[in-house]
Amino acid sequence: MADTTNFAPEFDAPIDYMRRTRDYYLALGYDNPYRWAHYTDAPFTALKKPLKDSTLALITTAAPYQPDKGDQGPGALYNAGAKFYSVYSGDAAHDHDTRISHIGYDRKHTTAKDSGTWFPLPLMREFAGQGRFTLAKRFHGAPTNRSQRVTLETDAPEILARCRQDQVDAALLVPT
Amino acid sequence: MSLVARYLERNGIPTVVMGAAKDIVEWAGVPRFLFSDFPLGNSAGKPHEPDTQRFTLDLALKVLESAVGPRTTVQSPLRWNEDGDWKNDYNNLARMPAEEVAKRRAEFDKVKQTALEQRKKAGVA
Repeated sequence: MADTTNFAPEFDAPIDYMRRTRDYYLALGYDNPYRWAHYTDAPFTALKKPLKDSTLALITTAAPYQPDKGDQGPGALYNAGAKFYSVYSGDAAHDHDTRISHIGYDRKHTTAKDSGTWFPLPLMREFAGQGRFTLAKRFHGAPTNRSQRVTLETDAPEILARCRQDQVDAALLVPT
Repeated sequence: MSLVARYLERNGIPTVVMGAAKDIVEWAGVPRFLFSDFPLGNSAGKPHEPDTQRFTLDLALKVLESAVGPRTTVQSPLRWNEDGDWKNDYNNLARMPAEEVAKRRAEFDKVKQTALEQRKKAGVA
């Protein structure tokens, strides 16, 4: 077995979303491009105990379904009205109706019909039932309101505080 | 979300991010990242394919357990489809007729206005 020179096409690589988005908004006439968070370092904390003995929390950017906030269904147009502006939490033992209409997901190639693609809470319950880890009693919703200052100074500390209240050992973060 | 991962990690809670926007997550710099080369909205696996969702969660847990240092990215071996042509579509004006561009511009104006009003209401504008 060996690789061949039959290479994949140039376009078939991870999308350069930052460049694509900048070009897109420039073409729409907006020349004040979003500045994505950028650091040269990254923190690291090792797991303190094996995963099977750890409590794992889910952090999501999905929003709770709000019937009074317009179309949030599969294929809905981008719905800024369905955004949320403070951290919310839900009981991990129950199912929740979460939506992603407030986020710029790929509306051409995915329809957002199956919440399992962005909100793996039921699956985490299944894995926890098999002894892979203990599921934290709450999951947490992180606002995506384009203010990095609010994320850093308000939302992230709030999520940390809630994780500590629940004796969380590790977190799975699922952005959309 | 990367900012939240960094904050938790720095304060003693190990994290793994499951995501589909490789450049954005790596630009921020997170401790551990399972990247799925799927259209945005499918960080946790493919729609109506529980097996790919299980595979994705399992792999994320393995990344959480086994990473030896920060900025560990593992790319899922799963493919969205055979030809990968979906990658040419996202916000790609070259593939959009002029009237579609005009429509999107009008929509974007509306969205910006809504978002600004909401931020004001929430006191974060």
